[in-house]
Amino acid sequence: MSMTLLQVVVSGLLLGAVYALFSSGLTLVWGMMNVVNFAHGDFVMLGMYAAVMVWTVLGGGPWASVPVAAMLIATLGVLAYFLLVRHIMKGPMLAQILGTFGLALLLRYAAFWLFGANFRTLPDTLVGHSFMLGGIRFEGARVLAGAVGLLVTWFLHLMLTRTAIGSRMLAVSEDATAAQLMGIRPERMQALAWALAGAAAGIAGALVATFFYTSPTVGETLAIVAFVTVSFGGFGSVPGALAAGLVIGVVESLSAFLIGPVYKDVIVYLMFVLVLWFRPQGLMGKA
Amino acid sequence: MPRRLLHVALVVLALAYPLLASDSAVYSRLGALVLLGAIGGSAWNIVGGYAGQVSVGHAVFFGVGAYSAVTAYVHLGLPPILGAPVGMALSVLIAAVIGVPTLRLSGHYFSMATIAVGELVRVLSSTSDFLGGAQGLGGPALPRSAFDLSFVSATPYYYIFLAVLAALLWLTHRIERGRMGFYLRAIKDSERAARSLGVSAGRYKLYAYMLSAAFTSLAGALYLCMYQFVDPESGFGILISVKMVVMAALGGAGQLFGPLVGALILVPLEELSNSYLGGKDTAVTLMMFGGKIVVGKGGAGITFVVYGAIIVVIARFLPSGLLSLIGRRPTGRRTVGGHAD
Amino acid sequence: MLIEARGITKAFGAFKAVDDASVTVDEGDILGLIGPNGAGKSTFFNCLTGDMAPTAGTVHFSGADVTNEPPEVRARLGLARSFQVPLTFESMSVLENVTIGALLRHADAREARACARAVLDRVGLGRLADQPAKSLGTPGRKRLEIARALASEPRALLLDEAMAGLTPAEVREAIELVRRIHEGGVTIVIVEHIMEVIVSLTHRVVVFHQGREIARGTPREVTSHPEVIEAYLGRRKVRHG
Repeated sequence: MSMTLLQVVVSGLLLGAVYALFSSGLTLVWGMMNVVNFAHGDFVMLGMYAAVMVWTVLGGGPWASVPVAAMLIATLGVLAYFLLVRHIMKGPMLAQILGTFGLALLLRYAAFWLFGANFRTLPDTLVGHSFMLGGIRFEGARVLAGAVGLLVTWFLHLMLTRTAIGSRMLAVSEDATAAQLMGIRPERMQALAWALAGAAAGIAGALVATFFYTSPTVGETLAIVAFVTVSFGGFGSVPGALAAGLVIGVVESLSAFLIGPVYKDVIVYLMFVLVLWFRPQGLMGKA
Repeated sequence: MPRRLLHVALVVLALAYPLLASDSAVYSRLGALVLLGAIGGSAWNIVGGYAGQVSVGHAVFFGVGAYSAVTAYVHLGLPPILGAPVGMALSVLIAAVIGVPTLRLSGHYFSMATIAVGELVRVLSSTSDFLGGAQGLGGPALPRSAFDLSFVSATPYYYIFLAVLAALLWLTHRIERGRMGFYLRAIKDSERAARSLGVSAGRYKLYAYMLSAAFTSLAGALYLCMYQFVDPESGFGILISVKMVVMAALGGAGQLFGPLVGALILVPLEELSNSYLGGKDTAVTLMMFGGKIVVGKGGAGITFVVYGAIIVVIARFLPSGLLSLIGRRPTGRRTVGGHAD
Repeated sequence: MLIEARGITKAFGAFKAVDDASVTVDEGDILGLIGPNGAGKSTFFNCLTGDMAPTAGTVHFSGADVTNEPPEVRARLGLARSFQVPLTFESMSVLENVTIGALLRHADAREARACARAVLDRVGLGRLADQPAKSLGTPGRKRLEIARALASEPRALLLDEAMAGLTPAEVREAIELVRRIHEGGVTIVIVEHIMEVIVSLTHRVVVFHQGREIARGTPREVTSHPEVIEAYLGRRKVRHG
């Protein structure tokens, strides 16, 4: 019994690492620009479809699809920034919310239209089979996803805190006007943030496609997961997103196991509402 | 003078429309649907347009209205419309409960909270047997009396909806011109400044939210009367919330006739897109205000791609809506005169 | 005593922005709050207006304890304020902006609008009444800010650096306006950097430095006080109006 529980927790941690990955992209953008990207979940969804396409068209496995998805969605992110986000940020609240929301709908229904509503999956053989370790069953695909998710999130954090360009991004995040006075171009840094967020979403999607059902509606739930993770971990904090992502993954996994799969969504939404009410700035973010 | 004439002409047209469209079931129905959309959008407009609190979770109230109507029939054998007042009261209560903690959140956080609550309610409703679970509930298959409001022709619906819309717009107009209207606009522009002038921002936002909820609920009950069916997706789905917002935003949020203008464009667009671009293998046609997500390929998919594109374009290029192009805002009048607005 | 602030302390973590400040304002006073940047005068000011709740201490207005009351309650009791960076209602006209203030005392919108128009005339913005508020430049917005607060028929008007960013001529006009308002029976509390304003307008001055009060008295007493001069360290010269 306790072995199964451990199994559930491990499974949750592995998925949580992927949650952490795409949530860190969202938190980066959010922290820098105070803009909610309602389309972020659909970025991940498109990453999943990119992976599926690479497999069906090119026959490549995750090693090929991950970079392709990363580049595609990074481009999407940058385009979204330049064509839409940059303008709505200066506008009224309604425009800001409608802007990315409309983008989400657009992407979601474009996916419906292009790919149909049916689920797609990648074959198990792509990533390698499951193995037993210490009495726990590990699925190759999930382990890979979790490991890569963790790695990329960590790289993102290193990039932000250790490199020159990272500190420039953080400067813009802190105070765009001051950064501008120091010779940094906020627009460039913001575009870069959107590119990174897109890449993170794309990679996460490609990873998850190896063991999740890929369908156009996936984005909706993933968006909520991302919001919860970012709210919990703090807006703008990548380490926060990592910690929160792991926690959410485990909570979700436990809820599905102990209460039922339908209720796992309920638990996540409830957590979200609670975090918003009691601590909108999250655990590690700026108030 | 010519403006007065235009107004009269429009009113006459609105009253006579069903007679003009009586030969075409499609156009009759379209008229009623436009009005229903306008009711929903106008209800949202009170809190989202005038007060500036962008709720993307109004489907909660819509669904409560629809379900109140249908459960009045299913569980009590009453005409569905009798469930409407109950639905409205319930919605006002729910609005108070949701509103008190969420309205103190700013901008994006408030919107996100409303989305989360909306989705929470939707998922929970699909687990409730009382509400018919994921299958939903249906209204009277055959009308037992006129009170069941189950008509074959769309014309009676048209006039009922027109009456409700007129009442709602009249009420909104009264608010707009009175202290509450001023205060809501002040809160929208700068809550901090408003409070420094004695405006109880929290209270006014809540009132707007509760009033908005009541009328959204009524729209839901009316929807049920026309469609005779509701399920978690068509009652509480996020698409309903989004449509209300977009209808108001397209025409002009915070403008009296903004939602009506938005509905006049979006409802026919959606219906026509569904009929002409719909594939024959479409399992379920997408109805106005949610309905089911289509299973199978076809026109419904494109409809919402266009919808999404329209939303993006409005947000990017015309955030004040179409009516702003006609310059109907009461401020910045070109006439320098003694008479106040 | 119209305004009585006792033992006001405002701490942000370990940092005390205001440390045990006590100030009283009598009806009919014009009180100035001065001090170098970061001295805590704005924080103290916000505790008076209700934008911040003090960590310790009390604020009484007209005998009523308003220490933890929000700004709207204080406004209703007759304590109005202007903002350092004008928070104009951008979607409204100049008249509509002021009407918001008037609506506090006149529930009928038409009546409130008429009162607002009268206030606009008093402050000299009458002919701009129907212009969109966003078309106003900074001096206009500051004047509008004051007009709006005035329309709420306050007993005390608290001005937060209302003269910042104005040309010397505009400053003089503003001083005249504030004086007229005061003559109309409104008690004034003013946070200011510009010495000319302090010297020519205020009856009494309280000087803040590093969160604490370091001097109080008439403008002349205070500007010759050695500790005050040291606090400013010669960065400010007393300008003669």
